[in-house]
Amino acid sequence: MSGDRAEFEKFLGLSEVLTGFTKFRLQGTGQGALYFSTLTDVVGQGTAGELLQAWSGVAAAAGQDEGKLERLMRSEILSHEKLGPIARNLIKLWFVGTWYQLPAAWREVFGTPERDRSFVPAASSYVEGLLWPTIGANPTGAKGPGYGTWADPPNIPKV
Amino acid sequence: MGLSRITSVEELHRHLYAALQLEHATIPAYLTALYSIHPGTNTEAVHILRAVAVEEMLHLTLAANILNAVGGTPDLTRPDFVPVFPTFLPDGETDFEVGLQRFSKEALATFLKIERPGHAPEGAPRTVRRPKKPGKSVLHASHTGKDAEEHFYSIGEFYDEISRSLATLHEDLSHQGRTLFVGDPARQITPEFYYSGGGELIAVTDLASAQAAIRLISEQGEGKGKAIFDYEGELSHYYRFEQLLLGRYYQTGDKAGHPTGAPIAVDWKSVYPIKANARLSDYAEGSELREAAFEFNRSYRDLLEMLTRAFTGEPRLLTAAVGDMFRIKELFLRLMRNPMDGTGTLHAAPPFEIASVTEVRK
Repeated sequence: MSGDRAEFEKFLGLSEVLTGFTKFRLQGTGQGALYFSTLTDVVGQGTAGELLQAWSGVAAAAGQDEGKLERLMRSEILSHEKLGPIARNLIKLWFVGTWYQLPAAWREVFGTPERDRSFVPAASSYVEGLLWPTIGANPTGAKGPGYGTWADPPNIPKV
Repeated sequence: MGLSRITSVEELHRHLYAALQLEHATIPAYLTALYSIHPGTNTEAVHILRAVAVEEMLHLTLAANILNAVGGTPDLTRPDFVPVFPTFLPDGETDFEVGLQRFSKEALATFLKIERPGHAPEGAPRTVRRPKKPGKSVLHASHTGKDAEEHFYSIGEFYDEISRSLATLHEDLSHQGRTLFVGDPARQITPEFYYSGGGELIAVTDLASAQAAIRLISEQGEGKGKAIFDYEGELSHYYRFEQLLLGRYYQTGDKAGHPTGAPIAVDWKSVYPIKANARLSDYAEGSELREAAFEFNRSYRDLLEMLTRAFTGEPRLLTAAVGDMFRIKELFLRLMRNPMDGTGTLHAAPPFEIASVTEVRK
């Protein structure tokens, strides 16, 4: 259990760097545990573990050096043939609330995991997508601004 | 000078202010339980809790309308308006306090006590006295003196007394060629400003509309006598909550305590393990949680200011205030979804320490 918790914390740490949102905001979406299990369910514990291990290495090597962190993220994870597309999928998952099927090129080389198809993990994933605070809007049809508030100037919370 | 028999307009104002405090004080408790439920789970419990919380907001607005109608001023920004939880309510019960806690059987047990239909036994005094406990938060308007507080036997009796006094004060003043209903009608929140919020809003301009408002508040909440459905055919709050503990819906013809409708599934485990009665001081100085908890308090204080303006002559602001409520809901949820430490065994929750925010601003 504590091992799972440690892996989850790594997942959140990686997600922070991938999305630019803090752990507090990421957890505040209520999607953290769901997205972590989505990752492991789709690509498997082994591959998910590889990604988190790579992230741990990057974080340890970069320390407090933000420039180095960004360079290592690009060279060790985003440019990695196997891990890069998965990391990009995590970005899309957090922002759009959809797991997109991994690219055909990835599937040709690394296999076709049974659950790797495009899907929305939960109805709340759409509502909690980070794209909404990023573009300064409410998700269409959700997080209602309140009846009649459209008569007033928009009031969007800060990112 | 307690909350007991009302013999003057001034006392009526004080009781109506207590009614505002009382109706409001239930809202943080109900919302805390509601928002602690994992998204997408417990849909029936979510529906019931949400409907009751929204009706308390209607009751708050109705109480403001009545207070305005009799020449009082609803002020939700007074430092004592929001109690420090856990708190007693001025309903005469000495056996429970209302706290902010996760959705649980214990929380529902408290909610049942809040909404308990209760009338004093025949011949018994309509108020009860209890010793004052030092350091305990009690709604300010219920203070009577140094040593004891006087309280109504139940919320139902509290509203009965307000209703009785409205009639007698109205009659007394009418005999003198005066009127009890001196308030500016422009201060009334009318249905056009209040969209689908738990029932029909009643503008209060005379005795009949005042009594109708009181009746809606007390029967929607605590029911009337032994009836489980109110005069509109709606199940009162007590029995709506009880359904969750008994795992079954009431239907027409059922006797109290014996619902025979469709089963209700409750998943007690799909709930964030939030800290009960969280305080700002529970969060480390400089942490994001602390900042978010403070932001919550500040936003809630701003909401109460906006509502006060809406209730004192700017009813159009209510629309904007409802918009703020949706934003506050997001702050609420964001806190509750965050663990307070690395273990995830205890989650954060909004502190509702409004008075402390007011001090910071000064």
